[in-house]
Amino acid sequence: MVTTSLPTPRLEVRDITKSFPGVKALKGVSLRVMPGEVFSVVGENGAGKSTLMKILAGVQSQDGGQILVDGQEKRFGSVSDAMSNGIAIIHQELNLADNLEIGANIFLGREPRTLGLINNNRINQDAEKLLDRIGLKVSPRMLVKELTVGQQQMVEIAKALSINARVLIMDEPTSSLSAGESAKLFQVIRDLRAAGVSIVYISHRLAEVQDLSDRVTVLRDGENAGELVRGEVTHDSLVRLMVGRDISRFFVRNPHKKGDVAIEVKNVVTATWPKHRLNLNVRAGEIVGVAGLVGAGRTEMLRTLFGVDAPVSGVIEVGGKPVDLKSPQQAIAAGVALVPEDRKQQGVVLDMVIRQNIGLASLHQHSRLGGFLNFAVEKQQSAEMSQRLRVKAPHDQYRVGNLSGGNQQKVVLGKWLALKPRVLLLDEPTRGIDVGAKQEIYQLMDELAGQGIAVLFVSSEMEEIIGMSDRVIVMHEGRITGELTREQLSEESVMHLATGHN
Amino acid sequence: MKGKILGIFGVLVVLCTCLAFATSDPWWNLGTSKFLQPGNIQNLLNRLSLFGILGIGVAFVIITSGIDLSIGSSVCLCGVLLSILLKVDYQPLEPISVSQIVAAEKMIIADAAAGELRPGTTFRYTGGVGSGLVLTTESSAISDGALRIRIKENLTRNEKDGRLVVASPVTRIETGDSVVAEVSSDLNVNVGDQLQLVKADGAVTTQKVSSVETAGTVKRLTLARDPGEKYRADAFAIVLQRHQRTSIPVAILIVLLVATVLGLVHGLLVTKVKLQPFVVTLCALLIYRGVSRWLTNDNPAGFGELQEVLGPVASGRVGLLFRGQEMVFGIPIPFFLLTAIGVVASVFLGRTIWGRYLLALGRSEEAARFSGINTGRITLMAYVICTVLAALGGMLFALDSTSVSPSSFGNSYELYAIAAAVLGGCSLRGGEGSILGVVIGTAVMQVLNNLITLLKLPQQHETTIIGAVILIGVIADEIVRRTAARRRLKQSISG
Repeated sequence: MVTTSLPTPRLEVRDITKSFPGVKALKGVSLRVMPGEVFSVVGENGAGKSTLMKILAGVQSQDGGQILVDGQEKRFGSVSDAMSNGIAIIHQELNLADNLEIGANIFLGREPRTLGLINNNRINQDAEKLLDRIGLKVSPRMLVKELTVGQQQMVEIAKALSINARVLIMDEPTSSLSAGESAKLFQVIRDLRAAGVSIVYISHRLAEVQDLSDRVTVLRDGENAGELVRGEVTHDSLVRLMVGRDISRFFVRNPHKKGDVAIEVKNVVTATWPKHRLNLNVRAGEIVGVAGLVGAGRTEMLRTLFGVDAPVSGVIEVGGKPVDLKSPQQAIAAGVALVPEDRKQQGVVLDMVIRQNIGLASLHQHSRLGGFLNFAVEKQQSAEMSQRLRVKAPHDQYRVGNLSGGNQQKVVLGKWLALKPRVLLLDEPTRGIDVGAKQEIYQLMDELAGQGIAVLFVSSEMEEIIGMSDRVIVMHEGRITGELTREQLSEESVMHLATGHN
Repeated sequence: MKGKILGIFGVLVVLCTCLAFATSDPWWNLGTSKFLQPGNIQNLLNRLSLFGILGIGVAFVIITSGIDLSIGSSVCLCGVLLSILLKVDYQPLEPISVSQIVAAEKMIIADAAAGELRPGTTFRYTGGVGSGLVLTTESSAISDGALRIRIKENLTRNEKDGRLVVASPVTRIETGDSVVAEVSSDLNVNVGDQLQLVKADGAVTTQKVSSVETAGTVKRLTLARDPGEKYRADAFAIVLQRHQRTSIPVAILIVLLVATVLGLVHGLLVTKVKLQPFVVTLCALLIYRGVSRWLTNDNPAGFGELQEVLGPVASGRVGLLFRGQEMVFGIPIPFFLLTAIGVVASVFLGRTIWGRYLLALGRSEEAARFSGINTGRITLMAYVICTVLAALGGMLFALDSTSVSPSSFGNSYELYAIAAAVLGGCSLRGGEGSILGVVIGTAVMQVLNNLITLLKLPQQHETTIIGAVILIGVIADEIVRRTAARRRLKQSISG
């Protein structure tokens, strides 16, 4: 039989399912990770990658399905269960106590002790060996906060190695690394593979995936969309599997007539990046994308344009008139709206119902007798927006926290559209949203541009930037490094600018 | 939220029913229930109203996910402040200070500023041993910058210091249907002043003047009661002028204004300086208590004669049930106040944009701010509402207890208010709460308190019982919440 001739997978997942309120995150995902291979998992945001990884790391438990380690079925009730089976995860947001030394972090919770007291000598000796192995040349006595992000990530890897991890899961490890740091990381990954460690690699950067992987599995909407082995892995093949259709039809763009400049940013300096001046404009009916690496200052720029953080200096003009943006109220009054990055914290009030969320920003406009709520207008407005944006919910008195990410995002958009804004700022508008809803959001962005709204959106997804923008502004470390027209747009040209080249 | 209110209302009903039967003898004869006695219910409603006002106030702050620990001290400070502002005293008109009395020369040396006294003018001397003597002027003159008064009477000893007050003879005292003292029309006297009747031997009696009527050269002053045989002849009258620091409306306004300022300070420290509400109001708790004690010098604060006028606001009743002329049961006036405040607060919270903003920012301050809500201003408003209601409660509490001791008045009232709000469905995480719930929560606390008294349980168990009930309440609420969340999850999986 064929099955007996195959080596036992180090880690196997069979038909894993997992649900959250309002969304089925995993609908039966299976995969096999062999010893000493780099196995990549790719997929759009909301495809179920993070949930799957959390289950493998013991952070969450599955609703159904099996996990096998070396052919034996296991149940992970906790992170330490997963660790004792040799599975370690390095999260996108690093889990280090940055006020402690490197050694203390590596052995946190498993400190070697003599007579009940922590044996610091042993910690430092062992830590030094681990750091050596991954080529990080710093003293284990250094505080973690003194390290660069790349070095901190190496400490996380050392930590994983210290528990003899045989499967190392890395979730978007390069999202905040420079090109040089990434190259170092890839070398470490190759060394570990050579030493027999299995790497589960999750990334949005398809070029990296293509470079590193022995095998790639693609997830879409909580299901396996397909698997590719080295040689078959190309940018186009990955995208086709991820999106499930031809990419050119996925992004909805119609040609719109561009109007006057709706928002003009002149020499604006933000508090986070006081050395750089920002200059840009967006015309009515235009969609401008803002690309860059994580931490390039894109979110900070949008916050400034929305008055959350007041600009240090410079002029912002909306509709040709300079406006004073010291608070969101002022921005809203000028016709600027922001769909923020952190939807659950800043976009919606999770514990309020759809109707109340949609009305939140425009309540005062139609209040009666100077402050009484106008329930009729609120109801009618909510009905109109729910229908226009196709919010999927039983009724509009439904708690927003129970909606899926895509529907939550539609509620945020509904809140702003009720105000008829002139400029719409969107920060990672499709993060954590399933593919269907994503396309609806794209369609909506196009529609709004068609109605003469100026759209400025930040995205870390290259496809989205390339697919949706009339024009792209690229940022690097707080600076606008360049602007690309639709004709100049390509993954390479964007990455070139995003890594700081002009 | 509706479920929560229904739950706590159920607890209240069960508690009242059990208590009604438990205090009856035999148990089924509710007519004998001590709990249902009109007096007891009246009392309960009164306490419910006063504590309810504090609870409604703190609910606003709790909805912003803040806390106000200073309520008890604010209650004390505002009660004391009202007492101080309304302080009434009676002072004689234009007293003349005396520097020396020379007995051998029948001479009194006094302050020249008073001007000369007409011969025959009678006055009363107080100070020193010879206190309370009524003396008559022989002659007077100003020399060497001092007023020298020669008197008719013989003095037994020299004196230093003291004062003189002109006393005019009482021409007649009538004791018919009403008691009337007749004095010279020169005497400056108004209704509300006190009339001091003095005798040459130093005897004195003081009464309030209830009406003044001028008839030719005399003024007829109506007194409350017969001063007694002794004063019918040869008595002298001294007018003690009534002096009240501020009028009642002004005093109340000042207290509310002070509370507004204090609330603004709390709110600004929380929203602008970004201090934690717990710390801000903890310091306020300590400071206001200390200031109250300092202002009163730790003496009990009361309202004196104004208690009669103002007291009914806090402890009066509107009759509902009469037996003959006697009122058997009445609704305490503060209950109407609570109802009014409750209705206004409910409408504010549920039907105005500010109420909606308050609920939104309590649930997610950031999302509210990102929706263009001025969250700082709304939070500020909540702290002001809380302190102003604490001030209102403080004035009522002080009037209700007639005299309060600044070192203990209002102690731990903030905890009762917070507990009632939590029992009534407010979440300390913010964004959740209903005014009706708070009032019912307060009622549960007061019934528990009543239970301890009526069942003659030792008073020392009071806080234990209240604490335990709140704990059970929030645990039950948490269990209900989790069960509901689990049910929702199941539904969404199957759906």
